[in-house]
Amino acid sequence: MTDPTSATPEGGSVIHDLGYRPYTGPRLGPAAIARALVVTGFRNAFGLGRSGKSKVLPFVLLGINLMPALVIGGVMVFVGLKRLPIGYAQYASTTQVLLGIFVASQAPVLFSRDLRHGTISLYLARPLPSSTYALARWSSLLGATLVFLLLPILLLYAVALLGELDVTDQTRDAAIAVGLALLLALALTGVAGLVASWSTRRGFAVVATIAVLLIGNGIVTAIQGISQEEGHPRAGEVAGLFSPYSLYRGLMSTWTDTHGPTPPTGTAMQAAYLVVLVALSVACVAALVWRYRRVATA
Amino acid sequence: MEAVVQTRGLTKDYGSVLALDALDLEIGAGTTGLVGANGAGKSTLLKILLGLVPATRGGARVLGHEIATEGPAIRAAVGYLPEHDCLPPDVSASDFVVHMAMMSGLPRVAARERAAEVLRHVGLAEERYRPMGGYSTGMKQKAKLAQALAHDPRLVLLDEPTNGLDPAARDEMLGLVQRIGRDFGIAVIVTSHLLGELERVSDHVVVLDGGRLLRASSTDEFLDATGVLLVEVLGDDAQARMAQALNRSGVATVARGTMLTVDATARASDQVDVHDLIRDTASDLGLGLVRLQVDHRHIEDVFATDGAGASSPEVSHD
Repeated sequence: MTDPTSATPEGGSVIHDLGYRPYTGPRLGPAAIARALVVTGFRNAFGLGRSGKSKVLPFVLLGINLMPALVIGGVMVFVGLKRLPIGYAQYASTTQVLLGIFVASQAPVLFSRDLRHGTISLYLARPLPSSTYALARWSSLLGATLVFLLLPILLLYAVALLGELDVTDQTRDAAIAVGLALLLALALTGVAGLVASWSTRRGFAVVATIAVLLIGNGIVTAIQGISQEEGHPRAGEVAGLFSPYSLYRGLMSTWTDTHGPTPPTGTAMQAAYLVVLVALSVACVAALVWRYRRVATA
Repeated sequence: MEAVVQTRGLTKDYGSVLALDALDLEIGAGTTGLVGANGAGKSTLLKILLGLVPATRGGARVLGHEIATEGPAIRAAVGYLPEHDCLPPDVSASDFVVHMAMMSGLPRVAARERAAEVLRHVGLAEERYRPMGGYSTGMKQKAKLAQALAHDPRLVLLDEPTNGLDPAARDEMLGLVQRIGRDFGIAVIVTSHLLGELERVSDHVVVLDGGRLLRASSTDEFLDATGVLLVEVLGDDAQARMAQALNRSGVATVARGTMLTVDATARASDQVDVHDLIRDTASDLGLGLVRLQVDHRHIEDVFATDGAGASSPEVSHD
């Protein structure tokens, strides 16, 4: 057998077309990797970095979601109202169907897609632990949901300031709305993410999330309406503990002037609303981490 | 040089299945073929080496890192091509490989450069900018290979890279595997249940059977030293006349299909070279000698010989 290197004269200089160049640059740690994953996931949630048609739904929903705020802005500018026709916090409650569809349709992009196409095994074969992966995905969805919730508040706030309404009042109301939006986003992200992480089918995840969020809210609202009519508001207050939207409405009634049906009365019940909403979010994140730990070792 | 992979009594017990049974293994640089039937424990071994699946007993070191405690360090330095589909259909290969390089810790700019380079090496040209959902199986396998190489790993684990490929794409993929081990200087562990293709590309072969090590040695040792020549002649009743003539000269022959096998070692002490004898015999008989070649063994033979011995533990090999 001939020696393949024998053609090279001993000690002679030759140009090697090695072709492959090793990478000698820096390698970043887990924090930087996680950050990159969060950013990519956030972009993917709006269809950026994906195919053209995957951008349609998130941006259409976002556009419709901003429409009322734009209309109010127009009215404020031309008519000059003395107060905003809709409260900052009330806005999310009014557009809850859009919000629900957005979260339900985009959670599978971040959670089901990797499971469905097996991409998860490539992530798991890389340095990030499965728990960090789960938290990064969750953060991306939280970020996207917050954009959806906070943009209208920001728009209304700008309109209010342009309309020369009282800055102190408006800032306080807007700040409360931002806090409420954060609580709602935490809960919705947790629920939608958890449902999507258990489903490899996008369609199933969308339907299941909408069922949990919107139909669940529908049932709770019906119970609250009936209990109000029948004069047993306490039953409605308890029922309100069972849906993220009704929890949001309950806290909104507590902290702002806008009131939903059967608002929680008494400090204990009001505290219960807050505790349940936070506990739901925490439980969902914990379940997500647990879920991906199971996927990793399966 | 330190072993790339070293296992000590590595055992994985799934309860119903014993996937790996006290495996002691040492794998060095270059390309190593991991052979075994489906369910022999190949994929399980790769997942354990990545530190994803915990071993039931025993341990292993990969690139000097302990699998039980240093999983992240191993996964930072190892590339993995899984057996099953793993590509999102709505992302282009270019974007995907950049993303995967970043998931291994490369900064964005470096990840872009690396992605362009590895995609060129695996041979994905303009199609790299199209969503991967529209790719052929061959292109998908190339994209999977590109993401495994994106972060310049020191070891790549390729699980059935030729699965589902047509012959041309299979040859191309095997050529790539060979280049990674030889030219890129990256250690390769490649699994296959098709033994023939591993003979071509690997320097070493490890044979697993039922979670146990059947044999580990260099590919040359598997293939060489059968000491048998294959002879094929054309003419009237050629094979029988040739066999008779060779037997008269003291060379044993055995018919194999249209060919004769000649034991070349039998006349090793004789002055006459067996090759010359065969040539002269064919010439004397007026037969056309159309084939005279060394009979290479195939890795399959290992299963026929060692496999039979392994099934009855009391038999000792000589």
